[in-house]
Amino acid sequence: MALFILRRLGVMVLTALCLTFIVFFLTNLGPNLEKLAKTQGNARMSDAQVESWLDRNGYGQPLVTRYGEWLGVVPGWTREDAETGEITGRCIDPGMDPAAAPRFCGLLQGDFGYSTVSDDEVAAVVGGRLALTGKLMFWAFLIMVPAALLVGVLAGMREGSRLDRSLSTFAIATTATPEYVSGVIFIVLLASSQAGLSPILAEWGWIDGGTLFLGSARSAMDNANFWNFTLPVMTIALYGMGYIARMTRASMAEVMTAQYIRTARLKGVSFRKIVLRHALRNALIAPFTVIMLQFPWLLTGVVIVETLFNYNGFGWTLVQAASNNDIELLLTCSIVAVLVVLVTQLISDIGYVFLNPRIRIS
Amino acid sequence: MSKDLNRGREIHPAARMYAKEHLAGDLSRREFLVRTTALGLTATAAYSLIGIGAAEAQEAFARETPPAGGTLKIQMRVIASKDPRVYDWSELGNMTRGLVEYLVEYNRDGSFSGVLLESWEANDDATEYTLHIRPGVTWNTGEAFTAAHVAANFEAWCEADVEGNSMAARMGGLVDPETNRAREGAINVVDDTTLTITLPAPDITLVAGIADYPAAVQHPDYIGQDPVAHGVGTGAYMISEHEVGVRAVLEKNPDHTYWGDTAYLDRIEIVDVGTDPAAWLASAEAGEHDMTYETTGDYIDVFTAIGWETSEVVTAATLVIRCNQANAPYENVAVRQAINLAVDPNEVLALGYAGRGIVAENHHVCPVHPEYAELPPITIDKDLALQTLTDAGYADHVFEVTSLDAGFERDSSDAFAAQLRDAGFNVERVIIPGSTFWNDWLNYPLSSTTWNHRELGVIIYNLAYRSGVAWNEAGYSNPDFDALLDTANGIQDADARRETMAQLEQIMQDDAVINQSYWRSLYRSYRPGVINADMHPKFEINVHYLGLAA
Repeated sequence: MALFILRRLGVMVLTALCLTFIVFFLTNLGPNLEKLAKTQGNARMSDAQVESWLDRNGYGQPLVTRYGEWLGVVPGWTREDAETGEITGRCIDPGMDPAAAPRFCGLLQGDFGYSTVSDDEVAAVVGGRLALTGKLMFWAFLIMVPAALLVGVLAGMREGSRLDRSLSTFAIATTATPEYVSGVIFIVLLASSQAGLSPILAEWGWIDGGTLFLGSARSAMDNANFWNFTLPVMTIALYGMGYIARMTRASMAEVMTAQYIRTARLKGVSFRKIVLRHALRNALIAPFTVIMLQFPWLLTGVVIVETLFNYNGFGWTLVQAASNNDIELLLTCSIVAVLVVLVTQLISDIGYVFLNPRIRIS
Repeated sequence: MSKDLNRGREIHPAARMYAKEHLAGDLSRREFLVRTTALGLTATAAYSLIGIGAAEAQEAFARETPPAGGTLKIQMRVIASKDPRVYDWSELGNMTRGLVEYLVEYNRDGSFSGVLLESWEANDDATEYTLHIRPGVTWNTGEAFTAAHVAANFEAWCEADVEGNSMAARMGGLVDPETNRAREGAINVVDDTTLTITLPAPDITLVAGIADYPAAVQHPDYIGQDPVAHGVGTGAYMISEHEVGVRAVLEKNPDHTYWGDTAYLDRIEIVDVGTDPAAWLASAEAGEHDMTYETTGDYIDVFTAIGWETSEVVTAATLVIRCNQANAPYENVAVRQAINLAVDPNEVLALGYAGRGIVAENHHVCPVHPEYAELPPITIDKDLALQTLTDAGYADHVFEVTSLDAGFERDSSDAFAAQLRDAGFNVERVIIPGSTFWNDWLNYPLSSTTWNHRELGVIIYNLAYRSGVAWNEAGYSNPDFDALLDTANGIQDADARRETMAQLEQIMQDDAVINQSYWRSLYRSYRPGVINADMHPKFEINVHYLGLAA
């Protein structure tokens, strides 16, 4: 078991290294660096000014050297200004004595670097944003998982029944509607004072404000409540819910045809007891993997939902970083993504062993 | 705004001349105001010259006095701040205007009034300006604000080799081209409250230059630094929170005695909800902001529908669709002329900006500019356009029209492309998201660019069409044009300058430097009860004036 986890961690580090190098390579292509210089310096700089800016800020060195600096295995660059004699460098913060600055300042030293678009340390930016996304994900999971399991079990216990058909239709419809469609539909139906339900409700005097729910989740960052957080949470939850429900249904339907269920039935055990005592545990093994797989899926979901609802979390940060070519912020986002994917897979593999004794990790 | 600024001072002779021109119908009231206030007259004094009484004049552009207190939320992009001299967006100026103030401000009605300057005057040929510093102004460190501080700022503005310093272009002749610094002895501190600026040649654009958003006055110790970081300024507010792309918060500085009797609000929040107007609307409906930075296109009506008020201002802001002459075949004047022959500006205005503006004439000087000269109407002839293009040998050329991916920029560029297609040109449209479009705006072969309002036509020509200047997106270089422009810069008399302007405008049209279909009116929406939030021709928001009705 320990060896298995160690090997998995090794894979994780290797994947992170490969992915960050690819991201580093792409973000350091010539046009991207020029874009960076222009967003940082002045949007209307000339080519000569761009060159001088890149050179002054350490982007003039070879790609591999700079990747090494970011990792913390190559000493950070320093540069002495020819005119003023001022020494600047990767590891020298503004106002710091150049002599006192460390030689290395990279990932290995715990320094994630500097976010050019946010004008702040990457660690400070990503930390708070991840917490916000965590909050969104937590509520999405809290709604999604129980609802999906309930729908799946109810649909799967009597395959082909009217209940099964209607719940399956619902599940397929939700999972076939991507976030950017359902989010917009929600906003139009529930969060516009001009269209959908809100004007009708307002006319009847059922709601005070202009809209039933809020179509922007900004206020939920500080103070999440039912009115400002429902739409983003539901948008994420609905999409995953249909998928998990379908998996649960298939698994449940299969279990319900198993020999031991028939035996139990022949013994005269009540249907309710058969479902709860005998079928449920076995039926939940497959959905467990699917639920763990939903974490990486949700990472892509939050990119859309956070942008749509203006919720400044991890997904929104990723969009900002990508559109502004914020190299070090993007690299950190990639590391976070790799961690989330591989850690949830690790948990899923280990959890599987506990749920299904027939499977062993060797 | 004090109405006694010019008491006891002589009225500039040119101002009397302008008054005569205005009364004779040669000058619009707006033009009259721009020119006379640039010479140092207060708006009230200027109005009095044309027989409008003080009370009436005050009423014409008076701001209300809202009750003190309250929190106001403004929808505006929150961009990483930097040295004000290299500011490239009006938003940056708006964000820091509560902290670092300006010497002079440009008003909605086209006049200038003093902020950190109490008054100013120019000599008869506009080669020497005397600036009178407002007494009683202090930095929020407690230090008194003096003429020496202003001189230090002028010197910093003249540092032409600072990357992206657009103030250097605004300082014009004050910059010594050999040293890239201010001319030796040109800036003189007379006493603590008086400063003179001596220019080698007449320049009528200096006052407009120091009213523009990169001209924020910094404490001499912090010149070249970001005001959000150092927090030192003369304004009543301090920036207590600043998260790029998310929000910024300004709070009234409790340890600072502000010189003015404005600064009504206790707290101003700037919320960044991205660049999509749909998001501004959703955010407005969710109660997350009280006023927009700018409302565009169809959203003006949508905001009205949700009960918000609309403020309109007619401006020289525009959309320019230009060929970059460094890219073949656009160095060929016939190709550019063919484009202008093919495009009917009325159609572009109607389809691209819903008719919210007036038609322009491909020369980037607006009828609201004082020196605007009327040229014969432009020719639109689609057959002749195709003929011209074919004769030039480019009938098969594919015109790749680049624009932003949203808003009136996209719609107008679509309309422009449609006009070219109607004439039989091969056209492809390229749309680029806002986050990346501006990284390369100078270099697209054929693209549309929004230009903000400028106070004078010569300012625009100096910024965008003089050979080799930083913002010359058309890659235009014409020695004759430059020489004429130098002449125009030195002519203070309106009619005399108009003659030169007519030639410049004609060159712009003949060389088909740009295609420009319309002048935009600008709009802002705000929740009822927000006071002094009117739209400004240069998008300025001065947080000191804003307030909320009780």
